Amino acid sequence: MTIDDWRKRIDEIDAKLVELLNQRSRCAAEIGRLKKRQQVPLYQPEREAQIFLNISRRNGGPLSDAALRRVFERIIDEGRSVERQAMGGSEDEKGK
Amino acid sequence: MVVVMQEGATEEQIQHVITRLVGMGFDVHRSTGVNHTVLGAVGAPKEVDPRDIELIEGVREVVRISVPYKLASRSFRPLGTVVDLGRGVKIGANEVVVMAGPCAVESREQIFTIAESVSRAGARVLRGGAFKPRSSPYSFQGLGEEALKLLREAADKHGLFVVSEVMDLTQIPMVLDYVDMLQVGARNMQNFNLLRALGNVSKPVLLKRGMSATIEELLLSAEYVLAGGNYKVVLCERGIRTFESYTRNTLDIAAIPVIKKLSHLPIIADPSHGTGRRDKVPPMARAAVAAGADGLLIEVHHCPDAALSDGAQSLYPDQFAQLMAELRIIAPAVGRRLA
Repeated sequence: MTIDDWRKRIDEIDAKLVELLNQRSRCAAEIGRLKKRQQVPLYQPEREAQIFLNISRRNGGPLSDAALRRVFERIIDEGRSVERQAMGGSEDEKGK
Repeated sequence: MVVVMQEGATEEQIQHVITRLVGMGFDVHRSTGVNHTVLGAVGAPKEVDPRDIELIEGVREVVRISVPYKLASRSFRPLGTVVDLGRGVKIGANEVVVMAGPCAVESREQIFTIAESVSRAGARVLRGGAFKPRSSPYSFQGLGEEALKLLREAADKHGLFVVSEVMDLTQIPMVLDYVDMLQVGARNMQNFNLLRALGNVSKPVLLKRGMSATIEELLLSAEYVLAGGNYKVVLCERGIRTFESYTRNTLDIAAIPVIKKLSHLPIIADPSHGTGRRDKVPPMARAAVAAGADGLLIEVHHCPDAALSDGAQSLYPDQFAQLMAELRIIAPAVGRRLA
């Protein structure tokens, strides 16, 4: 395969990733709404740790666990941001 | 804001910091490194004291990215502010505007003589103090409103504008009647009530840097005036206290390009207070213009030995004229011209 062929393949994968990431963020938004209703704090370190454990268990390479973790840190950061929006602002405002 | 965790910070410590940042309203971008974990905190809805984070266990340092002043920031007006005094005299434009005159107005004869000579040499603004609270209560305290009247008269006669210091809130209405620009002295730089009140006046404000003030503190003081709606603010570097005792203060020439970068407000220099010695005034005036100052504030007295205040730092009229001639050569070298 040529470089162009491989790039085409990457574009197809990216399209799937975009779809999957948006599916994921729709889930996060739903969780945000539930967290608000149930008065659960936005940041849940145990759950995030669980996600990192899950992905490293499923990791078959060639990405290292550390590399995958860095990628997922950003995905989780954005998920938290989506949840915050779904919760309607910062939680510290409701504490004050 | 960027939070750098200590080497070997525990997961609990990192989580604790994230909890605090999230609680403050930040979106946190976590980046786990081999040695250090870095947390990028973005989008906080309000001002946060970095020390609140820095004191949490496991934190190595907190780097603030955004500046605490908004209206004074260069990003607020990327093209820079021009303070227009009228008749084509603009501070912050291409021209370097020289303001000169005695430390204090002492008599009609004195201020008229000095106004005539500084005007002839090319100054566009006449300076002179009306209120002079001195270190000693027994020293000459200034002529008050009489001085303002004399300043106005002398300036009008010679086509000059007037800048004079306002010492407190109660003097603002009176000073406004006579001057074109109100000066806030170094000792009043953090008189926030005075600054707030000056935010409501329609005339330009010349804000001098306090002798122990950082550049950020100066810009925060300017922010008080700007926040009130008065955008005609000119900053003035006038020397800061350092360990050097040969000169009265250390004129912080570097503050000029720094402020040019950080803020859109014009910045001028006062080499008279900056050095406290007449013979050192012209070299520092030349340096300030070369460094990009939008103007100068210089003390000139026709008879410095008889001056009632700050005689030692006042130039003789012929020294001032000589300096102006030199500045006419220096200004074009840095793309400016003398107003």
